[in-house]
Parts: sequence; structure tokens; C-alpha cells
Amino acid sequence: MIRASCLCGDVRFEISGAMSGASHCHCSMCRKAHGAAIGTYAAVQASDFRIVAGADRITRYGSSAGIVRTFCARCGSTLQWLRESKPDVVDVALGILDDDPGVRPERHIYVGSKAPWHEITDRLPQHPTYPGAK
Amino acid sequence: MLRGSCLCGGVRYEIAGRLAGALNCHCSMCRKAHGAVFRSRAGVRASDFRWVQGEDLVTWYETSPGTHRGFCRVCGAKLLSRFDFEPKWHGLPLGALDDDPGVRPAMHVFVNYKAPWYEISDNLPRHPEWPNK
Repeated sequence: MIRASCLCGDVRFEISGAMSGASHCHCSMCRKAHGAAIGTYAAVQASDFRIVAGADRITRYGSSAGIVRTFCARCGSTLQWLRESKPDVVDVALGILDDDPGVRPERHIYVGSKAPWHEITDRLPQHPTYPGAK
Repeated sequence: MLRGSCLCGGVRYEIAGRLAGALNCHCSMCRKAHGAVFRSRAGVRASDFRWVQGEDLVTWYETSPGTHRGFCRVCGAKLLSRFDFEPKWHGLPLGALDDDPGVRPAMHVFVNYKAPWYEISDNLPRHPEWPNK
């Protein structure tokens, strides 16, 4: 079981299955939403993902067509990245995890949109946009 | 002039002066607040900072006594920290900037609290706590 919670503690998640596909995203939307250099997410099956507390605090923002980003209305913690086309998958912002997810970031995506003040210094693969995208 | 804005564009700010003390913070509060591996921030003089639009959209949460973190209540973008004990300076998350601030994070702080799933790979100084301690 992997637990996650926002800064104020009102929103709490439990993840019962394995996480996968952990990625550092440098797109401008992730940078804005997180107010950070990168947004790091990993995927979990929706059937393995449970909202334990604070469902009424979870605020949804549609950042682009078919994409919803969520955050806690009280403390602002960035929580999830959701695709309408893949309702069976939940991408969780790794920064809110209370436990070690086991997985490690395996790639950088959207490095074409990277912040000028941030340098990538690790050896992970770097993709200009999304792997496989034109 | 440095410009910044939230993800939905409802909130915009301008900074007239230079930023100072850019660093990456790995404390658990910063990681939780941003939902990110670490917070990159710099100091900005309160007198140099101006909300251009949407200040009423900024929700403040007091994360520890006297420290208030502000975010856009529409899109959740993290925008600014203000301090009751140091009102002349604000803390600026770099992620919402639209312009290159010129400064670069010069150190990592609170690495004792780093996420277990992340390894620091650059050569910047690493401080287990805040450097003054």
C-alpha cells in the first residue's frame, strides 16, 4: 500500500497496486501548475486508487482538451493528472506521496519546453515532447 | 521587468527588481505544496513585486506559523509565499515565471528530507538542513 496526502492533510489517497511509467515532465503547463521546475508523475490503475479522505477538497481544472489537473482547495497541493480518454488510469503527482513508490523516474518528457533556469544533469532519456509523438 | 502568471492566466504579476537567493528546497512541506520533487524558489523584495491581475483569485494557506503560501484557486498554480516575520521579502516559486529570471538555483537545502525516489545529480552544494544551522 502506497499512501499519499496533500500538505494540509485534508486529501488522502491510497494506492494498492504498482505504479508505472514515472516521468519528469518539463511542459509549461506542469511547470505553471506545480510552480516548479518539473512535474513528476507515475500512473496507477484507477481500480487500485482510492480516495480515503477529502474528496470535497479536490478541485478540478481542465488545462487542455481532455486533460484535468487536480489540487487541494485548502492548501493548493497538486494531486493528479487525469485523461478523459483513459478513465482507467490515474497519474499521481509523486511529490504528495508519503511512502516510497518503488518506481523511479525513467525519462524526461517535453524537454523542448524546459525552464531556462533549470538544467537536466542526470542520464535519463530525454524526449522533446512525448515519446512517440510527432 | 519579470512577468509571471498562473496556468489559467487569471493571475498575473510583475517584478521590477532582481531576484536573490535562488535554491532548490527538498523539505517535505515544499514537496507536498508543489506536488513536486523539490521547490525552486528565489527571494523577491516585496516593494518590487506587484499583482497585475487576479489578486483576488489567490488563496493563502498558512503552512507554518507566519508563512503563507499563495496559489490560484482556479488552476492551483503555486505563485508566492509571504512571511509575517519578514514582510520586506517574499518567496517566489520559479515555476510560474514567464521570463528568464537570470538567476539560477545555487544550492539544495533540506536534503535530509529529499524524496526517496529522486537522486540529485548536479554539482550544486547540498545542505542537510538550512545552511545557517
